[in-house]
Amino acid sequence: MVREGSGVRAKRTHAARQAAWRLQVRWTGKTMLLAIVFLVVSGVYLAVNARLARAGREVLTLEDRRSELLRVTSELGSELATRTAPETMLARAGVLGFHPAGPDDVVFLTIDDYIPPAEFVAPRPSAADDDGQAMLSPAYTETLGDWLMRWIGSSESAS
Amino acid sequence: MNQEGVTRRRIRFIFMVMGTAVAALVVQLIRVQFGPYAPVFAARAEYGASQVEKVVPARGQIYDRKGTLLASNASMFYLEVEVRQLTEESKRQIPLTLSKLLVLPLEDLYTQVTTDWAAMGQYRIRLTRKDAEGGPWPLTVDKTVAEVLNGFLADPEAPDLSGLDLVSAPKRTYPAGTVAGHVLGFVNQEGQGFYGVEGYYDEWLAGKPITFHRASIPIEAELEPDPPAGVNLVLTIDLAVQQMVETALKEAIESSLAESGQVIVMDPRNGEILAMAAWPVLDPNHYEPWLPDKTADGEGNPVITPGVAGTYEPGSTFKVLTMAAALDLDRVKPETEFIDTGQIEVGGHTIRNWDGRSWGQQTMIGCLEHSLNVCLAWIGSDRLGATDLYAYLGRFGVGSLTGVDLAGEVSGELRTPRDPDWTEPDLGTNSFGQGVAVTPIQLLTAVSAIANHGDMVQPHIVRQVVGPQGAYWPQTTVIGRPISRQTADTLTDMLAKSLEGETRYASVTGYRLAGKTGTAQIATEKGYDPKWTVASFVGWGPLPDPQFMVLVRIDKPATSPWGSVIAAPVFQEIAERLVVMLGIPPNADSAQLAVNG
Repeated sequence: MVREGSGVRAKRTHAARQAAWRLQVRWTGKTMLLAIVFLVVSGVYLAVNARLARAGREVLTLEDRRSELLRVTSELGSELATRTAPETMLARAGVLGFHPAGPDDVVFLTIDDYIPPAEFVAPRPSAADDDGQAMLSPAYTETLGDWLMRWIGSSESAS
Repeated sequence: MNQEGVTRRRIRFIFMVMGTAVAALVVQLIRVQFGPYAPVFAARAEYGASQVEKVVPARGQIYDRKGTLLASNASMFYLEVEVRQLTEESKRQIPLTLSKLLVLPLEDLYTQVTTDWAAMGQYRIRLTRKDAEGGPWPLTVDKTVAEVLNGFLADPEAPDLSGLDLVSAPKRTYPAGTVAGHVLGFVNQEGQGFYGVEGYYDEWLAGKPITFHRASIPIEAELEPDPPAGVNLVLTIDLAVQQMVETALKEAIESSLAESGQVIVMDPRNGEILAMAAWPVLDPNHYEPWLPDKTADGEGNPVITPGVAGTYEPGSTFKVLTMAAALDLDRVKPETEFIDTGQIEVGGHTIRNWDGRSWGQQTMIGCLEHSLNVCLAWIGSDRLGATDLYAYLGRFGVGSLTGVDLAGEVSGELRTPRDPDWTEPDLGTNSFGQGVAVTPIQLLTAVSAIANHGDMVQPHIVRQVVGPQGAYWPQTTVIGRPISRQTADTLTDMLAKSLEGETRYASVTGYRLAGKTGTAQIATEKGYDPKWTVASFVGWGPLPDPQFMVLVRIDKPATSPWGSVIAAPVFQEIAERLVVMLGIPPNADSAQLAVNG
């Protein structure tokens, strides 16, 4: 009794003997397939890296822009404070004909339900942001292994 | 062997070679990734493909109690030269352009640019200018000049400045200029805080710089880490009050032809310092002459933040502490009588009154009103004795730091019987404020116990600390109760009465105030200076619940030596404005308002 697999192999060997080019075409096809897979993977890798580099450059630009804006904000705040410094304001008030009030210039009144102005509270400085990287898509930071693990993890949780 | 067999063998051979090469590559990859030298390879990769960057957080801002900005951040630019990029033309044009633009000596700049730095192994230099003492000081320009120079660098038609580079760096700015300069201190070009608030809270304000590796081959999409930022501070200072006090001090200095002076305004209820003025003023935007290495050994250089760092003999203002001790121990009462003969001998040393006269029969109020040295020396030596007097002075914090949150505080000097150089005459002289050195803040803190019904509060300058996690409000700290409430109120009443009799220059219509003048000689290595004095005044009000205390100190006034003539009017002027600025109604009005309210 001849098994089916042995028969197929025998037919192929026979065919190869009949036309050697068939085998060469098969091998060439396999090699080309591997090459194409390699090229596709390389292309994807390059595309991803190019996109990553572009995003990295954009991040750098945005960070520079943010620093510049913070600096400008700070300088404008300083300029405003300089222009409203007591010495300047006193001089301006003097030009407008005002003078510092003495006890005789002031009348004290009782005002019911008067609510004094709220006390000044300084703005909070920016906090150290440990989760800053979370703002970026994981596509920019994870490795293929990380991606696989994430994909497997999400598949498991979905099932 | 047929052709087909040869071809197959060749193909197998090629595949074997390629397979071997791939296997070797895989083995090597595994070795590099996981082998014993994997960390070394990783470090090399990181070193070559990344660069170390330092992120410095913005220094915290400083505000006055009403939110006016006192210290902020801006940019400055260092002028640097990359010597390998210099051309013959730029070697001429850089000094010429900078000299014209910044009004600097051409020769000095030319020497710096044309020196053969490469021969010395230096390829990048930072240009300098000469400071007041002729030493090199890094040359910096502001944003406007930097824009002009960058325009020249970008314009091919402009002078050739090849090799010149503008390096940006943070700079501290103080919008109010010299106002509160001694309180704020300053920050040098390296970002280090000196003196005042900037020095005391330097670490808090500066935040924590961090370094990190930024991948450059290839560039990775990663955010710059955010370093812990410096805190923002809100001071107890009221800039409007500070400005008013500085103006009053300046006018007093100019009119009395004095050398220097200080004024401190404090709320005795909580120790908040509302104003702290000093003359000569310090401009923190131009701090160069005030750097520590330029002031440390300079004889006669003005002290920075003299309110906490400048000691002096307090003279008669110190008498209130001696009187407080005697009243508290019930050794005298306001009506206790003393026959003043014009002199008293303590430990073999004869003490006389400020005018050399004998004032006859006096009560304790009269002793304070006429500021009688003999009377106070009698109280110190006869009524109290060394043990009790120095115990009380210790309780008042004389000779100790107050703990005020300003850099550079000194403790003053008080010799006690425990010290080997203490002598018995010290007991008599210390009783009226001679032979003892205090700082203005120390005396004000001690006297705050009298103004604040016996509770001595710690003076402080920071009202609020705001960090990334939220705001923190320092609480009022009572650092001692040297005398009872009854003693404090009795003495305040005595001082109010004596003030009404002593000097009309320290009264404000509608308000009851208490205070004491002081005229102290200046100790030198050869004894007391025969010519110059320190004129001072410490006062508080309005009674019965004081909301402000003012200490005025004028050094070496030329027009008159007396505290009652020089310092008391400054107190009066400041008190008149303070009651308006702080919204304190006159005594009659406040009673009426209380009835209405």
